[in-house]
Amino acid sequence: MRLRTIKVVIGREYMSRVKKKSFLVTTFLVPVIFAAICVLPTIIMMLAEDKDKNVAVIDQSGVVMPFLESSPMATYTDYTDVASIEELKTGCKNMGLDAIVEISPLDSAKNLSVNTYSLKPISIDLKDNIASNVNDALEAYRVDSYEIADLKQIMNDVKADVKVSTYTIDESGQSKISSAEVYMGLSFILSTIIYMFIAMFSGMVMQSVIEEKASRVVEVLVSSVKATELMLGKIVGVAMVALTQFFLWIVLTAGIVTAVGGIVGFDKIAGSGDVEQISQMTGMDPSMLDAAGIDADQIMAAASGEQSEIAAVFDTLKDINWAQFIIAFVVMFILGYLLYASLFAAIGSAVDNEADTQQLQLPVTAPLLIAFFIAIYAFKSPDSAVVWWGSMIPFTSPIVMLARIPYGVAAWELALSIALQFVTFLGCAWVSAKIYKVGILMFGKKSTFKDLWKWIKMK
Amino acid sequence: MANIIECKGICKSFGEKVALDHVDVCVPEGKIFGLLGPNGAGKTTLIRIINRITIPGEGEVLFDGRPITQDDIEKIGYLPEERGLYRKMTVGDQAMYLAQIKGMSAKEAAAELKKWFVKFGIESWWNKKVEELSKGMAQKVQFITTVVHKPKLLILDEPFSGFDPVNAQLIRQEILALKEQGATIMLSTHNMESVEELCDNIALFNKSKVVLTGEVDAIRREYGNHNVEVEYTDSEGRHTLVATPGEDRNAVLKELMDKGAVINSYKELMPRMNDIFIKLVKGEE
Repeated sequence: MRLRTIKVVIGREYMSRVKKKSFLVTTFLVPVIFAAICVLPTIIMMLAEDKDKNVAVIDQSGVVMPFLESSPMATYTDYTDVASIEELKTGCKNMGLDAIVEISPLDSAKNLSVNTYSLKPISIDLKDNIASNVNDALEAYRVDSYEIADLKQIMNDVKADVKVSTYTIDESGQSKISSAEVYMGLSFILSTIIYMFIAMFSGMVMQSVIEEKASRVVEVLVSSVKATELMLGKIVGVAMVALTQFFLWIVLTAGIVTAVGGIVGFDKIAGSGDVEQISQMTGMDPSMLDAAGIDADQIMAAASGEQSEIAAVFDTLKDINWAQFIIAFVVMFILGYLLYASLFAAIGSAVDNEADTQQLQLPVTAPLLIAFFIAIYAFKSPDSAVVWWGSMIPFTSPIVMLARIPYGVAAWELALSIALQFVTFLGCAWVSAKIYKVGILMFGKKSTFKDLWKWIKMK
Repeated sequence: MANIIECKGICKSFGEKVALDHVDVCVPEGKIFGLLGPNGAGKTTLIRIINRITIPGEGEVLFDGRPITQDDIEKIGYLPEERGLYRKMTVGDQAMYLAQIKGMSAKEAAAELKKWFVKFGIESWWNKKVEELSKGMAQKVQFITTVVHKPKLLILDEPFSGFDPVNAQLIRQEILALKEQGATIMLSTHNMESVEELCDNIALFNKSKVVLTGEVDAIRREYGNHNVEVEYTDSEGRHTLVATPGEDRNAVLKELMDKGAVINSYKELMPRMNDIFIKLVKGEE
């Protein structure tokens, strides 16, 4: 092994990929998409609110109108005895109405139906607002109709709305509010990304081997560089492309999220919300709550329930030791990638073109897929036996271990998994190099597993 | 004269198939050495063994009198029969890369490549992608990448295939120029005319063995029947006469001169390499 030559090979493998348009596009587009996924819901929530809709109401039931309190979203005007539905429909545009709500008389089952008419389709928020108001009105009316004293109060008292708050405790017993969903999400995202990275970049190694073989440049190369040096240089070069992309993604995503967050006041949501904000998020109007007879304590209770959940998500996100995840990802990716890339390099060397890889690829892609499925299972039950073994067996461990990490993994488990992984890599690289050395100079013959076995045994 | 390459008792088999069977080849320094033989005779396998692409089953290769090492590879330039460059890379990047894996520094490589590109009149190709070049153009680039690091030993597998006559002539001149500068050249070829024109020594392979090796002139003389061709002009015009070794040549000439004929030329008839090749290869079947 001569370091200088390997460096030159790494340089070519790295530069030729980093300079490609497709690399630039994915490197800069993905963080934008990723940041958009993080930030967009907040922005949409803030921008897409309906404002000042002018809604005419014809309430034939006589019970709903008092509940249709005007809000910043819509102003409800009672037209019940002022105009007929037909007049409103024809005059809709002239009167400057955004929507007309027609509420039917109560039927014998104390039920009613609601129709809305509008020139442009009304938003889902407005529709929900109308529906919940009408429901509240109808519930209140039905409760009243029992004519039991204090029934309304009783109903409110029995209404259960329990929030489960999750805390993680450290060894000293300090508890921290945390969100289980955040860990699940993180586990899922991490294992998906590492799976994609390993599959994508080790596949890239295979393609590159095939390209060199198909273009016959390989013979000149191995007359200057040893086959093992070439294979090693290629694997390392592509790994550096992967890591470059990964770090650019992190930096860019973080940058975009922070920038956009700063502009739209992203943190506000996580902070101590007032009733206004909470009701905005839950799509309810505070005055409406009052009208429904829910007392202030309950509002606050409900509000703090909502708040603590969202706060928990943000607190959890803030508390996460991101450096730990990034290091874990990089280590697991490197180990998993090295293992799979060396196998894929061997497969690439044994074929003349990509179409022939199918059969040989199967034993290598299968464990990768299995690993991904175990990882998906891991984020539901991180402590199951399948997941534990999956995080130890070298071919599945990089992906499954990463899925486990958000839930906490003992240091010895991590060390054992990494050690096993590394030893397996050395073994596979040795076997792969043997196949590779012979394979890259074999042309015109479709190689089988029997051939590969012969090559491994060859001196 | 010292041998730059000595192959001693090289054997190589791929599974059941024997590719080389106790092959001995000595390549004298500063000469052009031809590897001849029908397809599948083992020439390319020997070339790969010298290049350390393939490890011999038995025997050893000496470079400058010592067993060859990976570091010696930098002193070799190799043009394989199956030419190939990265299609998506630019000509310049590619040439720089191939020069650097042969041990040149980036600076040195850039300077040397520039000279060659100017010499071949292809400076404008530097930023072109290889896939934009024609086959002949790509071959020129590949030839440059083979010789740019000033190898002591140049191994060319079928160097003229794929070139048009004009460019083949250019390559031929470059080969001779490199020899002038002290390089040793091994070339495998089916083109017997270029063997006669270029090669000082040859080794003829057939069925995994070297069946004939030595200096080209000596071989041709040996395989010739030592007939002499005399061309003369007398009062009736030009004539040629072939004298067999059994005849007294001086007597033949004297007789002609006495008759008043003018001798235009007198030369030993050498067999064509082509004929020797066919004779030896067919004779073994």
